[in-house]
Amino acid sequence: MSASAGPVPEQTPSEAKRRKPGLIGWVVNRLGMDDLMEDQYNRVVPSHASNYIYCFGGIALVLFVILTATGIMLAVYYQPTPDTAYQSVLDISTHVQFGWWIRSIHRWSAGGMVLLVFLHMLRVFFTGAYKKPRELNWLTGVALLLITMGFGFTGYLLPWDQKAYWATKVGTDIAGSVPIFGHFLLVSLRGGEQISAATLGRFFDLHVLVLPAIIVILLLGHFFMIRRHGISGRL
Amino acid sequence: MSVSGGDVRNGAAVTRSGFLKWLIGIFGVAAMAGVVYPVLRFLKPPAAVSAAIGQVVNVGAVSSFPAGQLTAVIVNDKPAAVQNLNGKYTVYSLICTHLGCVNGIAGDTFKCPCHGSEFSPTGTVTHGPATLPLPTYHSQVQNGSLLVGPVDLGRAAYPTWYKGEFT
Repeated sequence: MSASAGPVPEQTPSEAKRRKPGLIGWVVNRLGMDDLMEDQYNRVVPSHASNYIYCFGGIALVLFVILTATGIMLAVYYQPTPDTAYQSVLDISTHVQFGWWIRSIHRWSAGGMVLLVFLHMLRVFFTGAYKKPRELNWLTGVALLLITMGFGFTGYLLPWDQKAYWATKVGTDIAGSVPIFGHFLLVSLRGGEQISAATLGRFFDLHVLVLPAIIVILLLGHFFMIRRHGISGRL
Repeated sequence: MSVSGGDVRNGAAVTRSGFLKWLIGIFGVAAMAGVVYPVLRFLKPPAAVSAAIGQVVNVGAVSSFPAGQLTAVIVNDKPAAVQNLNGKYTVYSLICTHLGCVNGIAGDTFKCPCHGSEFSPTGTVTHGPATLPLPTYHSQVQNGSLLVGPVDLGRAAYPTWYKGEFT
C-alpha cells in the first residue's frame, strides 16, 4: 500500500489529492471519512489552553485506558469468591510472570485517575468552563467523578484482605445511614445484612461490568460535547 | 515508512523527515515490544500453581527415615529435611534464613554453603550470619506415613521466601 508513483487516471485532481495511502487510508477512503478526519486534525488548540492544567482531563482518559487494559488482564487470574480471592491476588503478585507489574500499574493508575479527575474538576471550576452553554457537560463530569469514586470503592474490596473488608464495612454502613432509603442501599450493596460472598460478587460485578459500561457511555457524551462546544474562552 | 524507503531505493539522500520517521518507528516498535512481551508472559499460566502450595503431602513411610539422622525430602517443591529422634519426627525447612540458599546436611546439623551459617539439630543458629532458627513444618504420622503440611513461621519476622509461598 505504498504511494502510487504515477498519476491515477479516471479521477479529478482534487479526488487524487484526497486519496490517502496506507492501511488506514484504505479504511478511510472506503468510509468517506476524509472530511470528518480533516476536521478533527485541523482543530486549533487556543493559546490559553496550551497549558498543563488543561491536560488533566486528557491524562485521566489515558489512565482510564491503562486501567481498562490492565484490569482485563487481572481478571484473567482473579477469582471473586471469599475462599480464593485473597489467594488469587497473592498468586498474581508472586507467581504470575509480570503479575506484580500489571497489578501495580492498575493500582497506581487507579489512584492517579481519582486524583486527576478531581484536578480536572478544579480546573473547569476555576476557569469558569462550566458556564452556559456547557452546563450539561459539567453535569456529565459530576457523574463521571462519582463513577470514578465508585470504581475505587468497589475495587478496594476485591483483594479481600482485612483492610478491604473493614473499608467496605464502614463504606456500606455510611450508605446505610441515609434517611428512609438507607437500609435498602445497605442490603443492596451487601447482598444481605452482613458482608459476605454476595457482597464480593456484587462489587466485582459493579467493578468490571456495570461501571465500565456506564463510564464509556458518559465519556463518549463528554467528548462529543467538548467537540460541540469547543474549548472555553480565556479567563 | 514508504516515503523514506522510496528515497533510499532511488539513491537519493536520506531526508531529515525520512530519517526521523524511521527513528520514531524504531522507538515505537521498541516501546510496543516492551509492553507486548510482559503481557504475553502474563497470559502464560505460572508453572507453580497455588493449589500445590501449602498442601499436605505424604513424604513417605516413617521407616524410610533412619533414627538420629536427617533425611532430605521435597515438600511442595521446596527442600526440607526429616529428623528422626527416637521416633519423634520433625521436618525442617532446608532453606537458610539468611539469604535463602539451600542448607547442606552435615551429620545431624545444617550447614549453609553460601555464607557459612550453621544450625543445631534443633534448628537454632550456632554460627552466623543467619539470625533466625530454621522453621519447621506441621507434620504428623498417619498409618505409618509421614504427612507434612504448611511451614510454621510462628511470630518471628521470617524473610519473604517462606511467606506468600505457604499462606
